[in-house]
Amino acid sequence: MFRAAVILLASSAFASQPPEELLKHAIAAHQSGDIDTAIRDYRAFLKVQPSSPGVRSNLGAALARKGDFEAAIDEYKKALEQADNTSVRLNLALAYYKTSQIVLAATELENVRRVQPANRQAVLLLADCYLRQGENAKVVSLLNPIEKQADAGMAVSYLLGTALIRDNQVQRGQVIVDRILKQGDSAEANLLLGTTKMQVNDYSGAREDLARAVKLNPKLPGVYSYYGLALLVTGDVAGATEAFRSELKTDPNDYAANLQLGSLLRQEQKYEEARAYFRRALQVRPGDAAVRYQAASIDLTQGNLEAAEKQLESIVKETPQFTEAHVTLATVYYRQKRKAEGDRERAIVQKLNADAQARQPGVNAQ
Amino acid sequence: MQTRKPGSRVSMRNEHLILIAAVLLSVAPNCAAQEECAGCHRKQAEVHSPTPMRHAMETAEQCGILRANPKLAFRDGAYSYQIVQEGNRSIYTVTDGKTAITAPIDWAFGLGKAGQTYVFQRNGVFYESRVSYYQAIAGLDLTLGARNTQPKDIDDAAGRAMDAQGTSECFGCHSTNGIFQRKLHIDPMIPGIQCGRCHESAQLHAQAAKAGDTRSSPMKKLFQLTTEETSDFCGQCHRTWAQIAAGGPSGIGNVRFQPYRLANSKCYDATDSRISCVACHDPHQAVIATPQPYTAKCQACHSTAAKSKICPVATGDCATCHMPKYDLPGTHFRFTDHQIRIVKAGAPYPN
Repeated sequence: MFRAAVILLASSAFASQPPEELLKHAIAAHQSGDIDTAIRDYRAFLKVQPSSPGVRSNLGAALARKGDFEAAIDEYKKALEQADNTSVRLNLALAYYKTSQIVLAATELENVRRVQPANRQAVLLLADCYLRQGENAKVVSLLNPIEKQADAGMAVSYLLGTALIRDNQVQRGQVIVDRILKQGDSAEANLLLGTTKMQVNDYSGAREDLARAVKLNPKLPGVYSYYGLALLVTGDVAGATEAFRSELKTDPNDYAANLQLGSLLRQEQKYEEARAYFRRALQVRPGDAAVRYQAASIDLTQGNLEAAEKQLESIVKETPQFTEAHVTLATVYYRQKRKAEGDRERAIVQKLNADAQARQPGVNAQ
Repeated sequence: MQTRKPGSRVSMRNEHLILIAAVLLSVAPNCAAQEECAGCHRKQAEVHSPTPMRHAMETAEQCGILRANPKLAFRDGAYSYQIVQEGNRSIYTVTDGKTAITAPIDWAFGLGKAGQTYVFQRNGVFYESRVSYYQAIAGLDLTLGARNTQPKDIDDAAGRAMDAQGTSECFGCHSTNGIFQRKLHIDPMIPGIQCGRCHESAQLHAQAAKAGDTRSSPMKKLFQLTTEETSDFCGQCHRTWAQIAAGGPSGIGNVRFQPYRLANSKCYDATDSRISCVACHDPHQAVIATPQPYTAKCQACHSTAAKSKICPVATGDCATCHMPKYDLPGTHFRFTDHQIRIVKAGAPYPN
C-alpha cells in the first residue's frame, strides 16, 4: 500500500554524454528489477554529477527496494538539500517508517501534507504513524473530514474506527465498526470488535473476536498484538507470547507487541532479549513511560540501582500518576538505604491507591 | 494501544499489563531435608515440624483432611463434585450428569483453615481443583479464584489448568526443593516448607557440618535482614508491598497479604526492627492466634518508657482493636488485617 514510488528522472542534459548513458542504463536496470546494477550505475553517475537530486532520489528508491533503508534515508536527505520535492519527501517518510523512526516519518508526512493536503497515501500513512504513537485524537481529527467523502474507502474507515475505539469514543467507533461489518465477516471488522470489547473489559468476548480476526487475516497489522493482549488478560501466557512473536514477524514495529513480549521475557528473566524489544518499542514511541518503566525494572533486578533511580525519577516527574513507577522507585530507594525518599514514594503510592479506592465503593470494617 | 492518559493507573494496568515480577524461584536443587538440619538445630526442627507452613502441601495419601473425610461432595449449578477415598488414593470426580472427569489427587495445598485446594494431572498438565475444603464449614466450596465464574464446559468445571509460571509459583511457595530455574522438578521436591526453602544454602552447610567444618559454608543470617528486606523475603510467598501496591488486588482482597498490609501501617518503619515480620512471628513456629502475646511487641514502641503515643483506651490486647479481623468472601475465614491503625467506626477498608 505504501510502497515507495520511484521517481525516474532522465535528464536530457546528458543526452550525448557518457554519464547519460550511465543514467539510462541505471534507470533501465532499476525498472527491470536489477537493483544492484541500478545502484552501482546511479552511484557512478553521481560521482560525476553529484548535484543531481532526481538521480539521488532514484538511488534512494533503489536502496530502499533492497531493504537498505538507512542508506536510502541518506540519499533522500541529500536530494532534498539540493531541491525540495514532495515525492522525495514522501519516500523519505516511508524509509523512516520502515526503520521504526515513526516520529520522523510523521514529521515528514506532515510536511508533505502542507504541500499536498489531499495526498491520500500521505494521509493514510500519517494516520498510521499517529496510531502507532498512541495519538488517537490526531488520527480522528485527520480522518474525520475524509471519512465523509464518498471515496473514503475501507482503509480510512478502519483507521478512524480503530482510533475512535482506542480513544474511548466507543459509540462513534461502533458506528464505523457496524459499517465495516456490513461489508462482510472481515478480519478488520473482527479486530475492531475485539478492540472494542477489550476497552469495556469483555476479555473473553474480545478473545473470540480476535481469534476470528487472526484466522481471517493473520497478516493484518495489530491483529496478533491485540489477540495476544486478550490471551494475556485471560491467563494464557504461552499463547500470548506466541501471538506477540507472530505480530512482530509481520510488523517488527508494533509498539504493543514489543512492549508486551519484552515484559513477558523480563518475567522469564531473559533480560537482554527483553531489552531489545523495549529498544524497538522506544523507537516507535520515543520516551514512552511504560517502556522506560520496564527497562528500569530490569535495572533494579540486575542491581543497577543508579540507572533505575535516574529513569524512574524521570518517569514519575513526567507522569506523577504512574503508581507502579512510584512503587519501584520506593524499592530502589530502600535498597539504597535511603529511607526518607523511600517513605516519600511509599506515601505517594498510598495516596494514589487511596484516591483510586475513593472512586470505588468501600468495604467497611467489621 | 494507547487509549487513556499515559500515566494513569488504569491505563497502565489495562493497556500495558505491567505484570508483577513473579516470586524469585530459582532455589538450587538438593537443599537439605529437615532431618539433616535437625541433627544440630533440633529445637527449630521440632517446633517447626507441626506448623502449618511445614504442612503447606501434602500428598493426597498424607493428607489428614482427605483421610478424615473419605467422601466429600459439592454441587455448583449443573456440576457435581466428589472426592472419594479409594485405598491410599483420593479420587476427584466432576460430572454434569452426562459426562464425568475423574482424576486421582496428587497434592493437597494448604490445611483448610482458609481453604485446602487440590492439584491433579490431566494429560501431563497440572490442574487446580475448582473446589476446595474449608475447615469452617467442614466441607467443600468453590476455590477462591473460582468464585463468580461460570464454567463453559466440563473441562472448565474440573479446574484451572496451571501454566508454567503458575505451577512454579504455587509449588515454589508450598514445597521445598522442587523449583529450579523457574521450573518444577517433582523428584527432588519435598512437600511443605522445610529448612532449605528459606535457608537456601542449607545443603552445603549440612555437608560442611558432616565434614566438621561449618565455617567453610556459613549460613546467611536471615535475622540480620533489615525490616524492609525481611518484608520482601517473607513476601516471596506472602506477597511484597511492591507486588500488591503495583498490581493489586485492591480492597478486601489484599487483606491476606500481610507484608503489604503491614508496610501500609503508619507505624511501619523500613529500618526499625521492632516492626519487622519476625518481631512478632517466629517463622519456625506456628502463628499464635490470640492477641495477648503481641501486646509486648506493640509496647516495645508504645510505652511511657519510650515516650511515645500510648493507647488511651486499653493497656493490652492491642491487636483486637488495631488489627481488626475481616471476612474474606469465599475463604470462610477471618483474616487479621496487618495494617495497624486506629480503626474508625464505619470507615472503609483502607487499601
